[in-house]
Amino acid sequence: TVRPKNEVEQKQLCAFGEYVAEILPKYIQQVQVTCFNELELLIHPDGIIPVLTFLRDHTNAQFKSLADLTAVDVPSRQYRFEIVYNLLSLRFNSRIRVKTYTDELTPVDSAVPVHQAANWYEREVWDMYGVFFANHPDLRRILTDYGFEGHPFRKDFPLSGYVEV
Amino acid sequence: SLQTTTGLVGLAVAENPHERLRILYTKILGVLQNIPKDAAYRKYTEQIVNERFDLVKKETDVQKLQDKLNSGQIEEVIVQAENELSLARKMIQWKPWEPLVEEPPSDQWRWPI
Repeated sequence: TVRPKNEVEQKQLCAFGEYVAEILPKYIQQVQVTCFNELELLIHPDGIIPVLTFLRDHTNAQFKSLADLTAVDVPSRQYRFEIVYNLLSLRFNSRIRVKTYTDELTPVDSAVPVHQAANWYEREVWDMYGVFFANHPDLRRILTDYGFEGHPFRKDFPLSGYVEV
Repeated sequence: SLQTTTGLVGLAVAENPHERLRILYTKILGVLQNIPKDAAYRKYTEQIVNERFDLVKKETDVQKLQDKLNSGQIEEVIVQAENELSLARKMIQWKPWEPLVEEPPSDQWRWPI
């Protein structure tokens, strides 16, 4: 069996994606809608706070809820880490994904001034990948052991680690 | 409205919501004047605000206004207008209508790699 295609939702998401891209051309590099009807905005890292604030405050967007904040490591790229924000709009019952990029040494603006929920998620991304968030109120390790060295979720970190337990 | 409570935590019932909305929408339109006329943000936000403002001016009954706006309770509409005002002020600093800051590297968004 194949999931039935929802053309109406696809069209609505495409239209909304074009709407946002028209309003924020300074930061949005690409907009795509997956075949499962998921809208993704691909952003320049300088535009994290403007885009997230726009999506939270604008009347036609109202994405008040930050559902998830993660990172993806693709070591072959120049900017290896891809930061992913998943937002949910309760007013319009709709989800959107915002993606940015960075490398190991460039800091990224923290989303905490926009969404308080980003606090522990950014601590997790720092701990697991080594992405530094500027203006974060309290950026320290959250899941690894106290003296742990290294960033476990990176692709070049071995599965059973460097230290024998 | 003649309610005693909005039903939402932290949101008090607004007495005289028409006045509050009138002030907020006028402020938003004033802030939007500082944005270049051809910016998409200004165009669309003016459209939204003028639509809502006209509805607020025409409809004096709060319940009917809530139904016409179709955007939750009137107190939520007030909160949303305050958010839009703060967003408009920040947009003047950020100027998002300018062309793209920097193109990504060509392989950045390619998937599968």
